[in-house]
Amino acid sequence: MTTNLFFQQVANGLAIGSVYAIFALGYTLIFSILGIINFAHGAVFTLGAYFTFTLTGTAFGFNGLLAQQKLPFSLWFPLALLGGALLAGLISVIIERLAFRPLRRRGADSLLTLVSSLGLAVAIVNIIQFLVGAEAYSYPSSALNDILTPFLFLFPDGKVPLALRVPLTEPPIIVRMVQVVIFATSIFILIALTYLINGTKVGKAMRAVAEDATTSSLLGISTDRLIQFTFFLSGFVGGIAGVLVGMSVGITGPYFGIAFGLKGLAVIVLGGLGSIPGAVLGGLVIGLGEALVPAEYIGYKDAVAFAVLFIVLLIRPQGLLGRVFIQKV
Amino acid sequence: MSIFESRGATRRFGGLVAVDSVSFAVEQGEIFGLIGPNGAGKTTMFNLITALTPPTSGQLLFQGQNIVGKQPHQIAAMGIARTFQNIRLFGNLSALENVKVAQHTHTHANVFAGILGTPGAREEARRVEAKARELLRLVGLGESADEKAKNFSYGDQRRLEIARALALEPKLLLLDEPGAGMNPNEKGILSDLIRQIRDQFNLTIILIEHHVPLVMGLCDRIAVLNFGQLIALGKPAEVQSDPAVIDAYLGD
Repeated sequence: MTTNLFFQQVANGLAIGSVYAIFALGYTLIFSILGIINFAHGAVFTLGAYFTFTLTGTAFGFNGLLAQQKLPFSLWFPLALLGGALLAGLISVIIERLAFRPLRRRGADSLLTLVSSLGLAVAIVNIIQFLVGAEAYSYPSSALNDILTPFLFLFPDGKVPLALRVPLTEPPIIVRMVQVVIFATSIFILIALTYLINGTKVGKAMRAVAEDATTSSLLGISTDRLIQFTFFLSGFVGGIAGVLVGMSVGITGPYFGIAFGLKGLAVIVLGGLGSIPGAVLGGLVIGLGEALVPAEYIGYKDAVAFAVLFIVLLIRPQGLLGRVFIQKV
Repeated sequence: MSIFESRGATRRFGGLVAVDSVSFAVEQGEIFGLIGPNGAGKTTMFNLITALTPPTSGQLLFQGQNIVGKQPHQIAAMGIARTFQNIRLFGNLSALENVKVAQHTHTHANVFAGILGTPGAREEARRVEAKARELLRLVGLGESADEKAKNFSYGDQRRLEIARALALEPKLLLLDEPGAGMNPNEKGILSDLIRQIRDQFNLTIILIEHHVPLVMGLCDRIAVLNFGQLIALGKPAEVQSDPAVIDAYLGD
């Protein structure tokens, strides 16, 4: 691999890795509060992408109940993204009401909640297919150009609207503008989330509930409301991750989020369950690991993520930044 | 009207009756002791009052209002705070943050105001911070406000739990073995602290404690539980000389 190609792939890896990171944070937020993996998170990711697509005012395809339908208005892409993420957050709250809360009220084993969330994920995927068919969608390029244009001012030659050339070496390292947007958005989300958790009242309450929900409730914190807020936050960032991936490779169909959901699980296990810095590190490691797979072995890209996971877990079973759980006997 | 009253509170766990139709009333401003041998139902009584465990039957009245059926966070908001026999601090949060969490119910700025840092929210954050530091100073932990709670000594953790409970601005404070694991000197300081906070915050305190001299010196009245039943209730000297109490503690 040449140096140029290496840097090229590092750039690719950082872009996808940062999306892995914010997606995995959605799992981490819920896990650190409930100690349960929300298997419907992949479906929320998918919904975020579809909602945003809908809000851009583009018509659906020829299959499904909503064939050829479109909204009577179209939103500027960043607004559509925000709207899609808010709707994904809302769906996440509904998922909590349907698949988590009833079982929690009855004191059910967390394994059962895992299954109920998985069931709801399958239902959501099928509802999407019923409504808009199984075909792939991509965001209208006009919508994307809207947000990518401002960056062109930085590069007055403006030769390649969707790519910026870094004229350091020959051949040039090409960073697609969409990757810059993805990376910048992910970093912004990470910073905002870190601030929310460490610097605000609700973040303090979240950390308290994560440590000891019972004591928190005795200190006047409504754990139900806090769990609801956490699900909203998780769905919000999960939805954004869906849109960012959709911007890069298109929405590949209703099963869009399922494979990504598995990758997200690898990320949080690699980084350490329940650890926020762990989710970020895990995302970047897996993103870079995949990107550095030589072109001729690209078919084994997904295997790399899980091979990295396998090797790390052999050495550090608690994950890269996870805490050791001491089994009490 | 008594500030707190238990009317026939009962809690069964399967065949075991942990609290067996216990009735007593606590008056405003009292330091009320709850004693009894291990397994007598003292902590279960606290769990009933704070809604961690619903009573099987009976009524619990706080300021004349039945509180059975309320959620723990609602009980906290009404003005009942507690500490735990086995300390339950947020170990990974600093002492200051532990106290601030408990001020949650008394702050009003919403999530978005907090994120945006509106003047109102910032003013509130300053007030919360000042109040939390004051409470830490009160219990003698002013110097280590930013230390993580898990690094504190046992006695300091107990006092931090008291500071955190006070941050709720309670009317009724339940202390579950506040002196456990403390040496006699620390227990003396603790007695003074409990009296001081009662006077300063106009509190009513119910206290579970095994250490007899501490209870006798501190409490205005004492209730004795044995196998879930109330076997004696009265002033320390009366209870101490009650044959049923001596019997329960010393066995047959």
